[in-house]
Amino acid sequence: MLTFLRRRIVSSAIPLLVVILGVFFLARLTGDPANLYLPLSATPEMRESFSAQHGFDQSLTAQFGDYLAELARFDFGESLRTAQPASEAVLRAFPATLQLAGFTMLLAVIGAVVVGSLAAYRPNSPADRIASFLSSTAASTPDFWFAIMGVLIFAVQLDWLPTSGTAGAAAWVLPVATLLIRPFGVLVQVVRGAMVSALSAPYIKVARSTGASEQRVIFKHALRNAGAPALTVAGDLTVGLINGAVVVETIFGWPGIGKLMIDSILQRDFAVLQAAVLLTALTIFALNILIDIGYALLDARVRQGAMA
Amino acid sequence: MQSPLRPPKGTGPPGRKAPVFATVFAVVGAILLASGCTVANSGAAAGADTVRIVLPEEPPTLEPCDASLTATGRVTRSNITEPLTERVPKTGELEPKLATEWDQKAPKTWEFTLREGVTFHDGTAFDAEAAAYSIDRTVNSGIECNVNGYVFGGTKISATAVNDTTLKVTTAEPDPILPLRLSFVEVVPTTTDAKGKVREPVGTGPYRIDKWNQGINLRLERFDGYWGKAPEYKAALYSWRAEGSIRAAMVSSGEADVAVGLAPADGAGDHAVEFPNNETTYLRMDATQKPLDDLRVREAVNYAIDKKGLVASVFAGLGEPAGQVVPTGVTGYNPDVKAWPYDMERAKSLVEEAKADGVPVDKTITLIGRNGIYPKAAEALEVVQNSLLEAGLKVKIKMLDVNAWMEYLLRPFPDDIGPTMLQAQHGNQAGDAAFTMDQIYGTKGAQSSYGTAALDKLIQRGELASGPERQTAFAEALAHQSDKVVRDAVLAHMTGIIALAPNVEYTPNSASNDEMHLAEMHPAG
Repeated sequence: MLTFLRRRIVSSAIPLLVVILGVFFLARLTGDPANLYLPLSATPEMRESFSAQHGFDQSLTAQFGDYLAELARFDFGESLRTAQPASEAVLRAFPATLQLAGFTMLLAVIGAVVVGSLAAYRPNSPADRIASFLSSTAASTPDFWFAIMGVLIFAVQLDWLPTSGTAGAAAWVLPVATLLIRPFGVLVQVVRGAMVSALSAPYIKVARSTGASEQRVIFKHALRNAGAPALTVAGDLTVGLINGAVVVETIFGWPGIGKLMIDSILQRDFAVLQAAVLLTALTIFALNILIDIGYALLDARVRQGAMA
Repeated sequence: MQSPLRPPKGTGPPGRKAPVFATVFAVVGAILLASGCTVANSGAAAGADTVRIVLPEEPPTLEPCDASLTATGRVTRSNITEPLTERVPKTGELEPKLATEWDQKAPKTWEFTLREGVTFHDGTAFDAEAAAYSIDRTVNSGIECNVNGYVFGGTKISATAVNDTTLKVTTAEPDPILPLRLSFVEVVPTTTDAKGKVREPVGTGPYRIDKWNQGINLRLERFDGYWGKAPEYKAALYSWRAEGSIRAAMVSSGEADVAVGLAPADGAGDHAVEFPNNETTYLRMDATQKPLDDLRVREAVNYAIDKKGLVASVFAGLGEPAGQVVPTGVTGYNPDVKAWPYDMERAKSLVEEAKADGVPVDKTITLIGRNGIYPKAAEALEVVQNSLLEAGLKVKIKMLDVNAWMEYLLRPFPDDIGPTMLQAQHGNQAGDAAFTMDQIYGTKGAQSSYGTAALDKLIQRGELASGPERQTAFAEALAHQSDKVVRDAVLAHMTGIIALAPNVEYTPNSASNDEMHLAEMHPAG
């Protein structure tokens, strides 16, 4: 297992380095931050002083060298916009996104297992058709539209929920629902497909022939085997949520990492952008490794393949 | 980033299995636990004695020397901190704030008499030392104060306390509008960091900072030791939402009392209050490049654009066709400079005339736009493009984000794109044309693509003049630009929208975008 872990970490280091390089150099190709941070009437001397103070007057390679040296000391630099340590902004925003994404995926997986299994139990039954229709609709609903409509109906018209914000459990409903709709739709389809295959497999017939109850057949035998593809898709969807809950965070004023990254890009706040991307990338790599470990633990063939 | 170890979707291996979903839940549960509960219940309760304001963005800082930044100034200025003087947006007059009187003792020397009995939020007394320190910190400290670049532009100023209530300010050159410039310098106590910016300042204003939940909200509470009339609201709770329709919905649903920075499409409905917001939209032509170096072509551009139609259709009637980049209320505004009339036939004939004289009118002009510079910015450019094509010019649009657009706004301009017309908007917060003319129309102005020696002379005359002569000189300069230089196609003076709940009384003015005084808000009834 340690060999597997080491191999996985080494293979993750290369894309991580590419991410660090890409973000650093691409961000700096998009214009001089002095234009954004100084008033239009600032003198050329003020612009030069700003660039010198923040090291933008050095060559890109020198700036990158400084960045790596600071990174080695766990110094992520200072936000141009707020003059606070970039790590503070990122560590403040990241838990908010993790909570939202984690809770959403929990609901999506539970909901998809129940609905997908029910739909697959009797293929082409009315329940299956309704589930398929609803899941296809959910998977293709634009989240921006869904969020705005949710606010108009449930907050403005019915006054059941707050429009946005983070205060209290009610404030979670619309952001989670908006974030949930697509992963739920996709996962229902995946679980249904996998369960249809599993339920028609020979080992299910064998299980039934031994007199096992339908409940045991579905949950003990079929669902276990149908779970692996669902886990694969759920993992990818979780990565997507951690990486890009931008729409939800923007609309609902959720102080998360997606909104922070977008704002940092628009405002050329390089230190915050770099810290946010680095932390997100590390989290995604860690999540992938965890999922791989899960697979290796679950499936002897995968484990043996990894050792080979 | 999918692992090569994972089986492809839909091909789960049969056989012995551990609880797959239990693993998923364990991972999710661990994430939830690890992330703590920092978001839940992080809102702040607000009673009827609290006015709730929703802003488009969180203030990056409340540093007073950055108060010329809109996001900072609308919270800080005259709420938390105060200047020596303050401009009345409606009349353009300066009124006393922490200074009660001021006098120009010599061309380069001003003397200010300061208000007595004023204390800072930390209990220290306001005096001339604090005023001098604040000016010095803003202008000379090297901490990159935005106010310094915006208002003083590198001018050397020295401030000294003559006694507790008398402040002497000397300038390197005669400055007839120094008291106006000082209306941007918010006063802080001498204990404020001189070598770095502060995020949560101490001031003399009617409100002091109670709590800033970063990313979520900011609460100010009434300062009981305020020297002036106590404001009616005991507290103000600011929150921020980037999406305009959500800000409007927050007022409709009773979650906020005031929503700032709305567009017509945001749906504020009956809660919407319109006000002239001091911004003027215009197209800046690069008159150094063919065919825009020909006066007839620049005139044709002005005749070809139907400004009334643009305001009525694209801006939903919110605005007024304009002929100059400063609105009424700004010193130098010229009431005789009207919007260029729409006359497509005249535009066509001017283009034909230029073409006959060998001007390359078929050379492609790039209309450089900025996404979101004002509501329906892209649509406005499409209308302009259509008009110019009809007039006989060749035009294409290039929409950019703010930083890429800035490369074209400020000198040195990129020189590899050919003739350009830049979509721009100017807001004169200070109320004097000096803050417009040289940077936008001067031959060497930071935002100027073209100027003339004659216009420079008129601008300089205005900058050195004071009183009625100043008004006359700048008005003449604006007329000269509109009639003789024709560098721009000025489009419209814009109108802003805020949403106001029925329980709050507030009348926005042309400065409300940049400084929103809580003391001017009252509970209705």
